[in-house]
Amino acid sequence: MDTFRAAGVRLYALSYDEPDALADYATAQDVTFTMLSDPDSKVIESFGILNALIPPEDHPWYGIPFPGTFVIDGEGAITHKFFEHNFAVRPGPEQLLAAALDQEFELPADRSATEGAEVGHVEVDVAFAGDFLPMGLTRQIVATFSVPAGQHLYGPPTPDGLVATAIELDDIDGVLSYDVVAPPTAPLTLSGSGETLQAYNGDVVLRLPVTQNARAMHKDDEGRYVTISGRVRWQACDDVKCFLPESSAFSFRVEAGFPVLGDMGAGEGRVPPMNGAAHFQKMIDRRR
Amino acid sequence: MADEIEVDTRGGPTTGPFYEDAEGFNMPEAPGTGSRRIPRGDFPTGPDVGQRLPDIVAIDQTGRLVDVHEDRDGQPAVVVFYRSAVW
Repeated sequence: MDTFRAAGVRLYALSYDEPDALADYATAQDVTFTMLSDPDSKVIESFGILNALIPPEDHPWYGIPFPGTFVIDGEGAITHKFFEHNFAVRPGPEQLLAAALDQEFELPADRSATEGAEVGHVEVDVAFAGDFLPMGLTRQIVATFSVPAGQHLYGPPTPDGLVATAIELDDIDGVLSYDVVAPPTAPLTLSGSGETLQAYNGDVVLRLPVTQNARAMHKDDEGRYVTISGRVRWQACDDVKCFLPESSAFSFRVEAGFPVLGDMGAGEGRVPPMNGAAHFQKMIDRRR
Repeated sequence: MADEIEVDTRGGPTTGPFYEDAEGFNMPEAPGTGSRRIPRGDFPTGPDVGQRLPDIVAIDQTGRLVDVHEDRDGQPAVVVFYRSAVW
């Protein structure tokens, strides 16, 4: 939250909870962002995102939204939207902050000195952005491709025989990945073959959101680590010819975060008490 | 609209009193029941990128009435719609 404040980005979180429930939650969790109460789901309905799969007579779930996140710029225009089918998955704070600051495709400041331009071929750096992998909240695998002048990398779709720039995750039990975040492409026609391709302009940053579903936590000897492995693929072309497709493997061993559970019961990982059971009873009663 | 959205019922029972959804997340209810009614196909996600965020005026955790566009005072913002702080 301090990082958001320092970056000049405001954070609002809206739910159908009553203000007193939000107050208890904020106290228990030391919340410093703004929590908004929409007990009649009026704001949720005005956005058109009321969860219509839950009938009105079904207490107490009725009134929740299809959960999601909007990022807006200083003018108030929506610049990004994050909606997943599964509410268990949400974008992590690093991802949201990069979106709010329009820095998703910015090259890392501490990039290694071996730039593609100096060695004449594409250089790739792959990093895991984050210090651990929580359940349901995404972190990102960030691949930075340094591309020499005169060469290009490509996004999908590519014609047969040409490899699109991609991050591929191995099939690892408990590790989930979502749609890659990629910069826009522009059509580029190769003078050699006359083919039109979707090219990235200059150096390329791809970000693959990943998370875990807690099953992974039992797969390692030490119980709480998970290895995320895979490879990046790319193929460069200059104006007249394409180079051979290339790939580079990566592997990161990261700590898997413990699932955070509500406070309505005992158990490891429970959040601090916020009088949840009483608030839940009130929710059951409030529309009777 | 409601009957056009498919409920995701994939997944099933796992160890103990728990169920598991299509992505392997554990949960106390069977997929597609109670608060676990989540969409499988298309579902509404509100205003599109490029549009102005509709006005939001609501009470915050301190009891203050907040108008988001006024309150953010020209700063960019992240607005999260989530299910509940209680459960």
